[in-house]
Amino acid sequence: MSDVVATNKRAQRQAAGPYGKIGQSLNELDDRLGIAKGGRTFMDKIFPDHWSFMLGEIALYSFVILLVTGIFLTFYFVPSVATVIYHGPYKPMDGQRVTEAWNSTMNISFTVRGGLLMRQMHHWACDIFVGAIVVHMARVFFTGAFRKPRELNWTIGLTLLILAIGNGFLGYSLPDDLVSGTGIRIAYSIMESIPFVGSYLAFWVFGGNFPGTATIPRFFILHVLLLPLLILGLVGAHLFLLVRQKHTQFPGNGRTEKNVVGSPMYPVFMAKTTGFLFIVGGITALLSAFAQINPIWQFGPYDAARISYAVQPDWYMGFLDGALRIWPSWTFMGFGHTIALQVFIPAVILPGILFNVAYLWPLLERKFTKDNEIHHLLDRPSDRPKRTAAGVAVLVLLSMLHIASSTDVIANFFHVSLESTLWAMRILVIVLPTIAYPIAFKICKEMQGYRGVGKRKTPNIVSRTAEGEYVATPTPSYGEDVGHELEATPVPTYIEVEPDVPVESGVRTVDR
Amino acid sequence: MNVTTSFLRRVPLIVAAGFLSAAPILLFVGSANANNLNPPPTTRKNAGTPNSTIVVKDKNGNVIEYGNKYITYKAPSSSLNSLGKALFMENCASCHGSGANGVPANGTSGAYPNLVGLGPATITFWIDSGRMPAKDVAAIQARRGQPALTPTQATAIAAWVNSLSPSYPDIPTPHLKNANVADGAALFALNCAACHTIEGDGDALASSTFSPSLRNIPAFQVVEAIRTGPANMPRFTGNLSDQQVADITKYVTTEIQHPNNPGGFGLGGLGPVAEGFVGLLLGLGLLILVCYWIGDRS
Amino acid sequence: MSDIEHRTPVALSGLSEDDPHLQPASKNPQTVERVIALTFVIGTLLVAAFGACYWINAKPWTLGATLGGGLFAFGVGLVAWGKYLMPRGPFVEERHTLANSDADRDAFAAAIVERGGSVVKRRKMLAGLLGGGLGIFGIVALFPALRSLGPLPKGTLFHTDWKKGSYAVDQTGRRINVGDLSIGSIVTVFPEGAQDTDRGQAVDQTILIRISNQNFTTQKGRETWGPMGYVAYSKLCTHLGCPVGLYEQQLQLLVCPCHQSMFNVTNGALPQFGPAPRPLPQLPLYIDSNGNIRAQADYDQPVGPGFWERHRTTGSQL
Repeated sequence: MSDVVATNKRAQRQAAGPYGKIGQSLNELDDRLGIAKGGRTFMDKIFPDHWSFMLGEIALYSFVILLVTGIFLTFYFVPSVATVIYHGPYKPMDGQRVTEAWNSTMNISFTVRGGLLMRQMHHWACDIFVGAIVVHMARVFFTGAFRKPRELNWTIGLTLLILAIGNGFLGYSLPDDLVSGTGIRIAYSIMESIPFVGSYLAFWVFGGNFPGTATIPRFFILHVLLLPLLILGLVGAHLFLLVRQKHTQFPGNGRTEKNVVGSPMYPVFMAKTTGFLFIVGGITALLSAFAQINPIWQFGPYDAARISYAVQPDWYMGFLDGALRIWPSWTFMGFGHTIALQVFIPAVILPGILFNVAYLWPLLERKFTKDNEIHHLLDRPSDRPKRTAAGVAVLVLLSMLHIASSTDVIANFFHVSLESTLWAMRILVIVLPTIAYPIAFKICKEMQGYRGVGKRKTPNIVSRTAEGEYVATPTPSYGEDVGHELEATPVPTYIEVEPDVPVESGVRTVDR
Repeated sequence: MNVTTSFLRRVPLIVAAGFLSAAPILLFVGSANANNLNPPPTTRKNAGTPNSTIVVKDKNGNVIEYGNKYITYKAPSSSLNSLGKALFMENCASCHGSGANGVPANGTSGAYPNLVGLGPATITFWIDSGRMPAKDVAAIQARRGQPALTPTQATAIAAWVNSLSPSYPDIPTPHLKNANVADGAALFALNCAACHTIEGDGDALASSTFSPSLRNIPAFQVVEAIRTGPANMPRFTGNLSDQQVADITKYVTTEIQHPNNPGGFGLGGLGPVAEGFVGLLLGLGLLILVCYWIGDRS
Repeated sequence: MSDIEHRTPVALSGLSEDDPHLQPASKNPQTVERVIALTFVIGTLLVAAFGACYWINAKPWTLGATLGGGLFAFGVGLVAWGKYLMPRGPFVEERHTLANSDADRDAFAAAIVERGGSVVKRRKMLAGLLGGGLGIFGIVALFPALRSLGPLPKGTLFHTDWKKGSYAVDQTGRRINVGDLSIGSIVTVFPEGAQDTDRGQAVDQTILIRISNQNFTTQKGRETWGPMGYVAYSKLCTHLGCPVGLYEQQLQLLVCPCHQSMFNVTNGALPQFGPAPRPLPQLPLYIDSNGNIRAQADYDQPVGPGFWERHRTTGSQL
């Protein structure tokens, strides 16, 4: 009896082919979609392992967290500026007239179970998202990964940065609290300051004079639908280009312009990257558990006649606020018109110039270096002193503008006068980037001349011979150093297993 | 083109501002002038003057207590006058003069504030908050600190100074049971947050002045500060009723001093500045360290 | 059985099972495996604890701590698995040039240029008409996209609700009386009736200060604007529109909390420091027979930040 069953089972297994039921299902899929060849190629794709290539993943996975937590929040948030009387669990606001937007955000924070965690994760993930994009962009810039053929990816990435910053601003303005509402007023005035079209633009975007009833509902649809769609689409394009053009890599250790060395997509890279997704989620959740962010109940609802001191925007808008603070009070009034230069220049022209230079950088660099070659190998930052120094100078400029947005906090903390803090900022914003360039340039030149910089040193074991002579033998002490003694090899199509001695009974034993 | 002319017009003002910020004495000149005009108390009812619901007089017809169910103001007992005079001569007269009029012995008029006619609550506020006697006379603005005199001593000094020219407000006792903290939040946001920040932490103001933190101030001193307008703080007299002042006081002593932080550590109430710091340094920084662990370093 | 387990021969080369590339990177795979197992167990426990905390409606920080810790543990374990236990490599693949052969590129260009070109060359007029029409469409398509969004920026930018005779009221609607404020007091006022409206708060907000006991003149031509020492300025900062609520009574400065513009209240709110370009417009006041503070007229210029259509006004120096 059991023999019959066994034979049937054996026959079934035989019919299923060497890969069993899974193989059969894959074949069915291939019949319909033709994915076998492409799928195999995809899974063989090699990803270089350098740690700095994972910075973009921080951004990607923060975005995933934003999407997940954001969807949760959309179930509870009410994007309306109609007023209600607050009667929720937060007693200090009981009886106050507030907007539906603020009321629903309070509801999320105090009534919906897990709501406060989701809100805080959403906000922390956004701060990390923009930070990761900036850090990733810096890595791409300093290693020259934007060069041919990747200029389009650079453009897409830069657009993603702008969209991320914009969406963040729209998002934290949704609860209509005192702090973010002030930011909306400032945004309105910035729009107003644009010559010729400013007042029209402001009236049309906001649906009338400030505050307008259309502000929060329009911000909402931009924040949850239009911009996320754009971001998703561009992220998809960004990743598609990355897969199609293959990742760049640093030179050395068998890596050339014509190959990619690293780990295969499946299973190694998938394991690492999925694990990293969990880590990003975990750290965001831990941050949200222990560090409070955007406590709108302490700020209260927005009222156009109310204002708080020490109000700054979220960090990624800080450079704009700093520029607005330190700019002199220039204005043009003549011929029946006004141009608010002290708003228009720092808030529109300055970021316009910065971003346009960034967009044009691959083109500019091609023109200046007369280098139209395809590059898949990266530069060490110190190999390109001019580019690195320029990037450092811009980063210093942006950092100083960001610090300038906290002039009042700095003045209060260090017990110096507000006026002298402001003047100090005005001077530092010009001086520090100017001296940062030659300093960075010099450091790069120094590092170029110093061989072995950046490489991990191999320790030596020093021993003394009987004659008193000292002998040093290098000893690699890190496991990874041993690993890289191996030459890279193509991903195996199959793995040869030693044939076992066949056993009469038909049962196969395998040595473990 | 108006840029040049508007700038030139502003130069003398910039010079004046610089001068003002460098010379603390000039500040006191400003206040002395204002005080010499003897600000008339408000005519509004229940706004910190004896024009209130409850008025208690002594046998001579002097008002010794007034107020309502929100705040009651009590005049310092005249029996403290002699103690107050002695204490004043010992601790205050070297600057404020033996007549409390801001003219010290050998000094010029207007060198220090004239204390006459400011009301008892002004005097007790400055002494009880430890700002007077001044620990650093050259400082642009005195800071809150350990008081050098006991509350009784402060009341005594206030009694004597007030006896020179009786005025208001008297020393307040707020009755916060009757106050509404939600109304207080709205009033605080409209009237106080512009200087003290919505979290009540204080911040730097013009010419090295600053608005102090409200985290450590007892309730009655909140009322005193609001009603008397110490230093650069505006005076809130007839623009806020006692009920509104009590509401604000309740808000300050509950929500500002014991904030509700269900989301975790409050990060000092500094708002997005601190949040950006923590998010980037802690969050992003940790994640970059994790990248360093996961990836290669060659 | 062993036949089934053997691979069918294929043309590509393979690696043998004991090739060093396929070995785990760690020197002690067994220990590492046990550690990773531990992290997975910890992760599972924490994630389950998240469920429990949620069930009993525990404080938010417990939800975050358990969820975060659990995810973190899973992540660390999974990464360690990939990094230390999976085949260590390194593996290599060839980069094929993205560019196609010259013949293919020529064919592609020819398809676009010659095919399209031949069609259009024959029907130039059609192409021109279509192009022109689509261009017009592109322009008019913008109309609903922009114009329907809101009204034209006309009167509301230039005038507030203050009129001749408007009572100055605080936010509760109470009329301000001449006996209310003492020197050094401020209050935010609105024209009566507008204190509860959005527009009222946004545009009409005015700061009323008592500077002295006598009529106060801030500038030439404004002798009647400051009756009994009451002076009123627009609360909208001329820089970016934040409410200028910060008054320092000894320095006689109105400071804007947003970007620290400073206005001198004694001379018509001329800007003294900071980025604001113009003084705060002053509201002319008078006191009626009942002692109420009222406005003589609307502001003599648009309040708030600058915009293109704002022209220089007469009656004030800027």
